[in-house]
Amino acid sequence: MQDIELNDIWKQYDQKLEEARLLNLQSWALNLQNFEMQQKQKVKSKLNKLVWQKLFLVIVGILYVYVLFLLIYYSLQWSKIFFIVSAASIAIITSIAIIVYIKQLFIINQINQTDSVVDAQKKISILQTGTLQITRILFLQAPFYCTWFLTTAMIAENPGKALFITLPVFLFFTWIAIFLYRNINYKNIHKKWFKILFSSPEWVSLIKSAAFLNEIDEFKKEIVIQ
Amino acid sequence: MDTAADKDNFLQLIHANKGIIIKICNSYCKNKHDREDLAQEIIYHLWKSGKSFNPDYKFSTWMYRVALNVAISFYRKEKRSTPLLSINDLHINIEEPPLLNDETEKNIQLLQQFILELKELDKALILLSFESKSYKEIAEILGISETNVATRISRIKDRLKQQFANHKK
Repeated sequence: MQDIELNDIWKQYDQKLEEARLLNLQSWALNLQNFEMQQKQKVKSKLNKLVWQKLFLVIVGILYVYVLFLLIYYSLQWSKIFFIVSAASIAIITSIAIIVYIKQLFIINQINQTDSVVDAQKKISILQTGTLQITRILFLQAPFYCTWFLTTAMIAENPGKALFITLPVFLFFTWIAIFLYRNINYKNIHKKWFKILFSSPEWVSLIKSAAFLNEIDEFKKEIVIQ
Repeated sequence: MDTAADKDNFLQLIHANKGIIIKICNSYCKNKHDREDLAQEIIYHLWKSGKSFNPDYKFSTWMYRVALNVAISFYRKEKRSTPLLSINDLHINIEEPPLLNDETEKNIQLLQQFILELKELDKALILLSFESKSYKEIAEILGISETNVATRISRIKDRLKQQFANHKK
């Protein structure tokens, strides 16, 4: 088969559709205003849900950071240095996650159907995979949950336990956290560990969006002909 | 686009371009009900985006951008159980044209089926190519480079030709 034959089939398809009709279009269009109101309401309620969800998490996050800083303030003494460093690290990481959430709230307002297909679809998919981005940031807190309870007195009393149990656990969680931070990414959705970690049903639509982000990247790549 | 004249102009535009809308719907949806829902959604978004149409751009570029963005987003939504857009049960119906002779009809159906099997962005690319859009315009609509457009179109056409050849075996 030649290109011209493919084009001919398309032309025949085109001619055939000349006779197709869109029924009810006239009367449907007469109601476009009502329709727009309905649609706006629908979009608004959907977006509102998304915006409120993100806003709720931002507020909870801010409160959490506030409480952490209060605790740090009232613990300012050398013996609680581990608690201070751990709590401060958790607070900083939570603050970064809050900033990412706020950034996503701005992206919601930037989505425009008249943008080029690749740009518009990428924005939509980035928004849909936002939770993935937050998850990888929040994993960075993991090692600090292994150290917040330590005190200088505990270490002085039993240095062996600190050296052979707490430190290896801390290092292990640090390695896991850094690995997950670097690798929880839509580019890795095909990997086994990723599928195990995100196998529950609530992640399905997010994974689909992540797969589509991969497809967009692939589509944008120039093909090199050997 | 609020006056009656605006609405008339808009309807004329939709009628003049109905083939494009139906072809996009046929390429992104398998069943008739979804195709009609998508047609409504595309027309609605065209009407809504018409208010922000920039006359510096070519009308067809703008129209394809909106229609393809809606189609791709629609395709990726979860399965729907109720029609997306309805006003008092009023629904746009697509009246299929009469069947052509056996051979032509079979080829058209095969082509539609092969296009349905393509990836979402590849569908957009081949649709625009069959609509005789220039590489430059396709690149603008999709947001990729002209060379990328050219190589990808050639690959997709090779795949389609291969599928036709396999089918005839």
